[in-house]
Amino acid sequence: MTHLSSKRSFRLCARSLNFLLVAICFFTIAGCGKGGNSGNEIRVGVVMPITGREAKPGQYQREGIELAIKQINDAGGIMVKEKGKKLRVKEVFYDDASDQAKSAGLVERAMTTDEVTAVIGGYSTALGEAESVMPDRYQTPWITPGAAAAHIFSRDYTYTFGTLSSTDLLGYTTGEFLGSLTDAGKLKKDLAVALALENTDHGVEYGEGIQRWIQEHPGYFRVVFSEKFDLGGTDFSGLLQKVKASKADIFLADAHLQDYITMERQYIQSGMYHQMISYGARGPDQDARKALGDATNYIFAGLWWSKKLPYPQVKKFDADYQAFAGHEPDSYYPAPAYDAMRALAMAIEQAGTLNKTAIRDALKNVELKDSLMPGQVLRFGKMGQVELPFVIVQNKPDDKSDIVYPKDAATGEAVAPKPRK
Amino acid sequence: MKQDARRNAPSLSRFVTIAPPLFLVVILALVPLAHPGPNAIRLLFISLVWITASVGWNILGGVAGQVSFGFAVFYGLGAYATAISLNAGLDRLPSLALAALVGATTSLLVGLPTFRLRGPYFAIATIGVSEAVRVVMTNLAVTGGASGYRITEKGAFNQRLHFYVALGLAAGAVAISMLIRHSKLGLALISIREDEDAASDLGVNPYATKLLTHALAAALTAAAGGVYAGYSAFVHPNGVFGFDISVAILLMPIIGGIGTVWGPVIGAVVYGLVQEELIASFPQFHLFLYGALLILIILFEPGGVLGLINQLIRFVKARTGVGAHT
Amino acid sequence: MNTADFLNLLVAAVLLAGVYAAMSVGMTIIYGVLKIVNLAHAGFLMLGAYFVYELYTRANIDPLLGVILAFPVFFLIGVAVYWLLVRRIPRSDQPTLSSLLLLFGLWLVLQNLGYLIWGNGDHAILTPRTFSTFQIGPIIFPTVRLVVFGAAVASLACLEFALHRTWFGRAIRALMQNSDAGRIAGVHVDRTAQVAFGIGIAFAGAAGGLLAMMYSFTPDFGGSFLLRAFVIIVLGGLESFAGVAVGALILALVETFSILLIPSGYQPAISFSLLVLALVILPDGVAGLWKKRQRLA
Repeated sequence: MTHLSSKRSFRLCARSLNFLLVAICFFTIAGCGKGGNSGNEIRVGVVMPITGREAKPGQYQREGIELAIKQINDAGGIMVKEKGKKLRVKEVFYDDASDQAKSAGLVERAMTTDEVTAVIGGYSTALGEAESVMPDRYQTPWITPGAAAAHIFSRDYTYTFGTLSSTDLLGYTTGEFLGSLTDAGKLKKDLAVALALENTDHGVEYGEGIQRWIQEHPGYFRVVFSEKFDLGGTDFSGLLQKVKASKADIFLADAHLQDYITMERQYIQSGMYHQMISYGARGPDQDARKALGDATNYIFAGLWWSKKLPYPQVKKFDADYQAFAGHEPDSYYPAPAYDAMRALAMAIEQAGTLNKTAIRDALKNVELKDSLMPGQVLRFGKMGQVELPFVIVQNKPDDKSDIVYPKDAATGEAVAPKPRK
Repeated sequence: MKQDARRNAPSLSRFVTIAPPLFLVVILALVPLAHPGPNAIRLLFISLVWITASVGWNILGGVAGQVSFGFAVFYGLGAYATAISLNAGLDRLPSLALAALVGATTSLLVGLPTFRLRGPYFAIATIGVSEAVRVVMTNLAVTGGASGYRITEKGAFNQRLHFYVALGLAAGAVAISMLIRHSKLGLALISIREDEDAASDLGVNPYATKLLTHALAAALTAAAGGVYAGYSAFVHPNGVFGFDISVAILLMPIIGGIGTVWGPVIGAVVYGLVQEELIASFPQFHLFLYGALLILIILFEPGGVLGLINQLIRFVKARTGVGAHT
Repeated sequence: MNTADFLNLLVAAVLLAGVYAAMSVGMTIIYGVLKIVNLAHAGFLMLGAYFVYELYTRANIDPLLGVILAFPVFFLIGVAVYWLLVRRIPRSDQPTLSSLLLLFGLWLVLQNLGYLIWGNGDHAILTPRTFSTFQIGPIIFPTVRLVVFGAAVASLACLEFALHRTWFGRAIRALMQNSDAGRIAGVHVDRTAQVAFGIGIAFAGAAGGLLAMMYSFTPDFGGSFLLRAFVIIVLGGLESFAGVAVGALILALVETFSILLIPSGYQPAISFSLLVLALVILPDGVAGLWKKRQRLA
C-alpha cells in the first residue's frame, strides 16, 4: 500500500511540476510581448544577415545603413514638424542568420513589439520575399536594399520599397552592353553564348534578362547552352566540359563568390578561353582578387553600383565609409543601403509626422537628388522598386578595374575580345 | 476500504492526467483576448507549431526509438501542399488535412525502404531523402523553384485565427501522444525501441508498426508545416526543407526529455523562446550559446529538462523522507 | 564526346575521389573505433583550413607544410576534446544519439568561434601552385588536385599499414570489432579510444588544410562535405579504410558523370539518392559485400 502510494505520489508530483513548467514557459512568452517607444526618437528596424551564407553582404549593408544614421544624427536628427523638433534615429538591429523564417519573424517583431517607424532589411531575394509579407500586414514601410527580384514588388502591396533595380533588368543590361561592343566593331555578329547560372532567383532572373535582350535583338547573339548548377559545388569539370562542347564564344555565368572561385580556377586549369567572360555580379570583389589573382583580368560584371562612379557624392561616401567601417566598400553592397536610409529620412521629413502611412505616401514621391546610385537620382517606381541604370565593370590588370558602360559613367574603355595569354 | 481506494485510484490518476492539460489549453485560448500584443501571439504561435512537429517526431524517434534526421521533408511538403492548395482556393482546414495526407503518404514511400535499416544507417538515409527532395524542389519551376512560392493572401491578416488553428493542432498532437503512451501501441513502440528482435519474438510486427508510427509522425509534422506556411505566406525550398529544420525538430524533444509526453512540449517552448531571445540579444554569439546549451544537456542531463525535474523530485523526496518505507 | 574529353572527365572524377577520401578518413576512424558519428568533423575541417591559411598569410609557410604541421596540432586538440567532452558520455557498441548531439553542439560552438575570429568573408589561399597543371598529351592534371590525391592515398595506405602491422593498430581493430573482448585481451580501451579520436581529428584538420588549397572557405565551411562524407562512409562500409577509397570513387564517378545525363542542378539529388539506394541494397556498404564474398569463399 505504501509502495503504491509513494509511486503514485511521485507521478502526481512529477506531473504537476511538469505542468507548472509548461505553463510558466507559455506565460513567459506571452509576457515577452511588451516593447515600447518613448516617442523621443525615431526607431528604424534593420534586419540583415551577419552570420550564415549571406553574412558578408549583410554586414556591408548594415554598415551602409549605420553610416547614414550616424551622419543624420550628427546633424541633429530628422526634423519632424509634428513634434516641432529634430528627432534622433535609433537603430533596432537583428541578425536573421540568413534564415528566412527568422528573417520574417524578426521583421514582424520589429514592426510590432519594437514599434519601429520603418524597417530596412532583406539581403537576397529569399530573405527579402519572406520579409515582404510583413509590411502590408502591419502597415509599416519596408525598404529592401538587397533583394532585387521584380516579383517581390509585383503585387498589390503598397508598403514595400526597394533600392535595387530588378535582376532581370541587370541581365538585360548585360545583353545591351555586349550588343554595344558588337556595334562598336569589337565583337563579331552572331556570336554563341553559353550560360551557367546558379540555381537561385538571382541566377534564374539574370539568365531570363539576357535571353530577353537576345530575343529582342536578333542577329547579335545566339544562346547555345544554358544550365543551372547548385551552390557549393566541389567540381565543375562536367559542367565546364559541357560548356566547352557547346563551342560558345562568350561565357556568362552567375555565381556566389565561393562558386566563382572554384569554377574560375577549374576554368583556367582546363585551359578554356572565351572572348568575353562574366560571373554575374562577381567582378571586382576584393576577396575574388585575393583568391584568383590575374585570372580575374578582363572579367566583367554587371553591378548595381561601383565605388568608381565619377560622382562627387560617391567619392565622399567612399572616404566616409572607410573612416567609419575601417575597410573599403566592397562590390555594390553598402550604397543601396545607405541611400535607402537617406530616402527614408527624407520621406519622414517630408511627411512631417511619424505616422507610418503618411511616411509611406511620402516615400512614393521622394526624390533623392544626390543619390550614390547610377543616374544620381533615386526615385521609387510605381510598384515600389527603383528603376535605375546599372554599371558594367571590367577588371583590368594590376588590380585595377574600370566602369565600361554606360558611356556617361565610364572611366575606361572595354577590352573585347579578352586577350589570350 | 482497500478495494474502494484501488477503484478510485485509476480515475483520480486519469483526472490528474487530463485536467491540467485541458486547463492549460483553455488558458492559452483565452490569452489573445487579453491583448498581449502581436509579438507575443507570434511567439506563442511559433512555439505551438514547433510543439506539433516536436511531439510528432518524438512518437517515432523518442517512443519507438527510430531517430530520423530528415523530418524537414515532411515539414516542407506539408508547407508546400498547404501553400499550393490555399492558392488554389481550398479553405484553411481542408488544406491542412491535405498536408497531413501528403505527409503520411510520403512517409510510406520513405519508410518502406528505409525501415529495413537500423541505427545510424536509418538516420543517414533520412538525411539523404530530405536533401534529395530539397534539391528537386529547388529545381522544380512549377512550384517556383529557387524563387520560392508565395501565397496570395485573401482578406485581412487574422493573427488570432492562425493562433487558434496552431493551438488546436498542438493540442491534438499532445492528445494523440498521451493516448499512444497509455495504449498497447505505446507499449509496442517502447518494446521496439528497447529491443526490436525481442519485440518481434513477442508478437509485435516491427516493420508494420514502424510504418504506422512514421505515418502518424509525418502527418503531424506536415500539418505543422502547413500551419506555418499559412502564416508566413511564403515558402522556399531552403527555408522549409533545410537540414537545420530537421535538426531543430529533433533537438526539441532532446532538450525537453525524449520519449516522454511533455518533454517535446517543454523542449519546443524552450527552443522557440531561447532561439528568439538569443538571436535578438546576442547576434554574435547565438551559435555558441546554442551549442553550449546542447553540450551541457547531453553531458549532464540527457533526460533533458524533464529528467532534471525528476532528479529534483527524487532529491527532495530523499531529503524529506516522503514516501519512504522501511 | 571524344576520347580526350572522356579521359579528362575520368581523371577529374578520380582526383575528386581523392579529395573526398581525404576528407572522410577522419570520420571513419572515429566511427570505426568509438562508434561515434562525428558531426563536429565539419568544424575541424574548417579549423584546419584556417590553420593552414593563417600559417601561409602570416608566416609564409607553404600550405603543404602547413597540412603536415596540422597533424600534431589537431591530434592534441582531438585528445583534449576527448578528455573534456567525449569520454563523459556513455560508450556503447552502437552509435548513440547523445554522441551525435554532443558533437553537433561542438560544431556550432566551433562555427561561432570561426565567425568571431575570422569574420564572415570568404577566404582563399592563392599560390603559384593553385593554377598550375601537369599535362600528358591531351589529359590535364591540375597540380593541386594531384597533391590532394597523393595525400589521400598516402594516408589510407599508412592507416591500413598501421592497422595490420602494429600492435596499436591491432588494438584499434579489436575495439572496432568488440570492445569488451578487446578489454579482456588486454587492450586499454579508454586510452586507445582517446588516441583514436585524436588521430581522427588530426586527419580532419589536415584534410581541411588540403581542401583550403582548392576551395574558398568561411566559418560554416564543411557542412556540404559532412554530408558527402556520410555518403562515402556508408557506401564503403562504416568500418573499413579501403572501403573509404571505394566509396569515394563511386560517389565521385557518379557525381561527375551524372552531369552528362541530367541538368547539373539536380546533381546533389543524385548523390543523395545514391546514398539511400546504397543503404537499402547494401546495408553494410560495398566492403560488407566484399566481406560476405570472402566468408563464402
